[in-house]
This record gives sequence, C-alpha cells and structure tokens, in this order.
Amino acid sequence: MTAPPKPTPGAPTLLQSAMRVFDLSLGQMLWSRRSLFLGVLLGGPVLLAIALRVVAALYESEFKINGAQMSGSAVFGLMIWLLYIRFIVPVLGVFYGTSLIADEVDDKTITYLFTRPIPRSAVLLGKYFAYVVCTTLLVLPSVMLVFFLVVPTGGGRIAEAFPALVADLGMLIVGLTAYGAVFALVGTWLKRPLIAGLVFTFGWEPAVMLFPGYLKRLTVAYYLQGLVTHEMPQDSAVSLLMQVFREVPSIATSLLSLAVIVVLTLWLSGRAVEHREYVLEQ
Amino acid sequence: MTTKTRYFVIVSLLVLAVGLGTGLVAYYVGFPASAFANRGGPDELRLIPRDATVIAFANVREVMASELRQKIHRALPGQENGQRELQEQTGINLETDVDRVVACLHPERDGVGMPAGGMVLARGRFDETKIEALMREHGAQVEAYKGKRLIADNSIDLQTGKASLALAFVEPGLVALGSTTLIRSAIDLHQGGENPQTDLQSVTGNDELISLVRSLDRTGNAWAVGRFDALASQARLPQNVASQLPAITWFSVGAHVNGGIRGVIRAETRDNEAAGNLRDVVRGFMALAKLQASSKPELQTMMQSLELGGAGKTVALSFAVPAEVFDVIGAIANKAMKPLGH
Repeated sequence: MTAPPKPTPGAPTLLQSAMRVFDLSLGQMLWSRRSLFLGVLLGGPVLLAIALRVVAALYESEFKINGAQMSGSAVFGLMIWLLYIRFIVPVLGVFYGTSLIADEVDDKTITYLFTRPIPRSAVLLGKYFAYVVCTTLLVLPSVMLVFFLVVPTGGGRIAEAFPALVADLGMLIVGLTAYGAVFALVGTWLKRPLIAGLVFTFGWEPAVMLFPGYLKRLTVAYYLQGLVTHEMPQDSAVSLLMQVFREVPSIATSLLSLAVIVVLTLWLSGRAVEHREYVLEQ
Repeated sequence: MTTKTRYFVIVSLLVLAVGLGTGLVAYYVGFPASAFANRGGPDELRLIPRDATVIAFANVREVMASELRQKIHRALPGQENGQRELQEQTGINLETDVDRVVACLHPERDGVGMPAGGMVLARGRFDETKIEALMREHGAQVEAYKGKRLIADNSIDLQTGKASLALAFVEPGLVALGSTTLIRSAIDLHQGGENPQTDLQSVTGNDELISLVRSLDRTGNAWAVGRFDALASQARLPQNVASQLPAITWFSVGAHVNGGIRGVIRAETRDNEAAGNLRDVVRGFMALAKLQASSKPELQTMMQSLELGGAGKTVALSFAVPAEVFDVIGAIANKAMKPLGH
C-alpha cells in the first residue's frame, strides 16, 4: 500500500473526518451479521429475567443462592456483575473492537478509506465512536428491561434500586469504552486479534484477578469492579468468591485509570494505523 | 445515517428515556401501593408503616367456617355477645362481612410525641354509609384526608388526651381502624406509595420482618410475627422481671384452624447460647406439662404433639390441639356458667 496522502489545505479536521466515518460505520455495524450475535448475547439476560419474573409470579417465592435469601435488586446486581460486566461487555469489546480495522483489511476495503483525504486515525476514531454508540444503544435498553423485570421480584424496590441502576448504566458505558479501546489497539497491532482478545478476556483477566499482587492492575476488569456498587448475598459461595474480588481500587482511581487506558490505547491505535503498512492478501 | 438506523437509535433512546423516567418518578415520588410485584404476605402489608413491631393476620372467613368454630359455637352459644355488640356499634357482621384482617402494633416514637398505636385492616364487604352513621352517633367526626373520609372518634382518650381512634375506607372493601396517625400513614402509603425521599415506607421494606411473614404465609390461616425485645421494652416491666426474660429478638406464631389447631411457635434469640438456654427452659415446661396431663387422657394427644425443634438461634415448638380438647374446655365452661345462671 502507498503512504497516506497529505491532507490538503481546507480539508476536514480529524474530528470532522471521524464523525463522517462514524456516520457511515454506525449503520454498517448495526445491520451486520455480527449484530445477530449481539442480539442473541443481549437477548439472553432479558429471557432469563422474564423466566425469573414468571417463576416469581407463579410460585411467589424469594430467590435463594446456597440458602441465602436474595431480593430482586440483589439478583439484578448479580446479573449485572456476572452477565454484563464479566461476560457481555468484554465479549462485545473483543468482537467489535478487534474488527474495527481488521474487518476492512480482511474485506480489502481499507484502501478506499485510506485513500480519502482524511487522517488515517480519523477512520479508526470514527469506527470506534460507532462501536461505542452501537453497543451502548443495544446494551443499555437490555439492562433497562432486565432491571424492570427482575428488581420488583423477591421484595426488591424500583425506587431503592434506581440509583444503583444509574451507576450501572454509567459503569457499562465506561466498560464498553475501555474494552473497545483496548481491543481496537489489539486489532491494529496483531494479525490474529480475535484470538489474542479472547485469551486476554477469558484467560488473562480472570486468572490474574484471583491472585494477590500487582498483576491485576494490568487488566480492565480490576478498575471496572471498583465501580460496582452492588452488595452480594451473604453466606453463600458467591459471596465467598466476591470476597476474593473485594480488593478493589477507589472509584476515583478506577475512573482515572480507565480514562488513561482509553486515551492511551486510542492514541497508540491511532499511531499504529497512521504508520503501519497494511498488506492486503490476494 | 439511513432511515433504518435512525429509527433504531430513536427506539433505543426511547426505551432508555422511558426506563430512566419511570425510575426517576419512583425515586422521587414513589409508586402506588399496588404497583409492581408482591413481596409475599397479604397486600394490606403495603399500608402498614415500616416501624411496626408486631403484625398479625387472620383469614376470618376460613376460621369462621372451620369445624372448630362451629364446635365452639355449639358448646358456648353465649359467647356471641361480643360479635353482636360489634355489629350494633359498627354495622360489621364478623361472620359474613369480613374476609380477612391484618393487624399491627407500632412502637412509641420518641421525640415525635406519638404514642404506641395499633391498626386493623379488614377486607370484606362493608356498608360504608351505615358504619359512618353509627360511628357519628357515637360522637365521631368526619374529616377529609387526601380524598378519603377519615372518621375520627374524638371522645376516645388514650393517654395523650387527643383523638386517637379513627376509621377510614382506604379502598372499596378495605377498612382501616386504629390510631389516627397510623390511619393517616396508611392513606399516605395507599395514595403516594413508597417514597424514600420523604421517609414514607411500608413494612414490606423491613426485610427481617417480611422474611418471617413470607415463611408463615400460606402455611396456615392465622399468624403473627413481631419483635419480642421491642414489645418487652414497651411493656415497662419491673427491672427484676425484665432481666429474667429470655434474649428473644423475633417471634412468630403460625396456626391453621380447622378441626383443631395446629401450628408452630418460633423464637429467634440473640445468639446460639440464648437459644440453647431457651430450649432447656421449654423442654422443662414440656416435661412438667406432660406429667400433669398423664392423668387426663383428652389432653395427652395434645401433649404428645408438642415437638421442640429449631437450629442455631431459632427455637421452634410445634403443636396440635385436637378438637376434643375444645369439647373438654366447652364442658368445663358450661359447668361453670350453669351455677351463675341459677
């Protein structure tokens, strides 16, 4: 591939170019085959919530985990932690983040974007914004439905749980932003980014989180769990497991660290895209 | 952006806006008492303020129709006077009008000047006009409170010298009778629902109490749960008596009334040691009672049904009182009443 053309005077700025790419990419992302996978992924918790609601309505019983009673709010907290934070958000980050540039390379369409009179990093930035908006608009309504289905069961209260919901929505946006940025970097650096992403998400992160020491600071999950507000049920295996995770940074540290991760990884991704020579396989 | 994408963004934002709006309204204003799911226990619990120390429930319809009730009715026909008196004073026929009742006791609220009070929520079929007229005849006055007619009896003076007994029809088929402050709270909860911002919360938010209610609900047609320590502290017992009381925090009684009565009395103590001590005391009493009953065959079945159980901080005593015991009680009562008749 040839070197990127120099932006001509009067050409759109980085942000304007990024917004143009965002506009094009959002539709592509939403109506791609990947969205089917996303729909299944996000439909799961909603179906589970419906099932819990039906069971609670039919049997009028509270939820129990290892004998510990759980209100609807606690079940919702557990679903947010185990399904969304520990699974859906990283998976979305991996699948969408790694594909931002890699897909264009695989489809051999990267040339069309890189030959436009815009900075190359604007392509990555625009696609990243599209990823954040696309996943946010899908994940947040799913969480909202789960909240209204699960929280009123087993004695939970909408009014009491509402502040936690707002915090959860904010945390999910931060999580999607951070994981997306990290995997965007992986996508621009590595040839097989998906495998590396999955290894990082389901190998590295869960493993180092269980060990004491500083290694866990090299994960996104460590800072993300600092933003989790939910209390876990007492006297259960889950609570025991949560006690292991309880070594968490403060909210300010978490937010600052995640902001640094996002800015740094996006900057490195931008630099990689600007300077890397993409070879299109014939 | 294509039209399809634009529609998707709008729908997604709409779901978020509706959800956040609803949550915000719930947070600041609260939801009506009937909104969303049931926490367990009768619906009337949503009208009882959070700081209740005792809650009791009775399925009046089932109890009235039970074989035991019929037996008592036949054995002691004179006992219907109280029922007749209630009907004359309030127009409420306990036998036909009331389906179920939920009652509560509340502690003295220090610093607020509110005395300890109680409230009974009865669900059934009531002639509102007749009841109001009868209460007015007895000196009650009607005032409007949040769109409900609050019939307060000013002639009743309970410690404070203020009008403290009131009656209100909270909704069709549901009458609340009790201290005026509690009736007002019940109306507040019914109209506005829970509102953490104004500290207006129902007993359904009291997790300890409600989990006990849930364990008893649907196991029988009458039950009561409460805080034993709060009751004991309000009873103003002499120091030497209070110090002898077992360290019980919560108690619950659940019973099923039909041919006889079978049920369970549960007590939750402060710690395992207190539970062990309480078990020893109950075991002693049981041995004594069995000894006493050995000469009375009609009581032996009941004594044999006593079973002490529970684990950890919980002490449970299950019992079954057969109908024959009530025959004996009826015979004794009739024998005692005959000389009075002469």
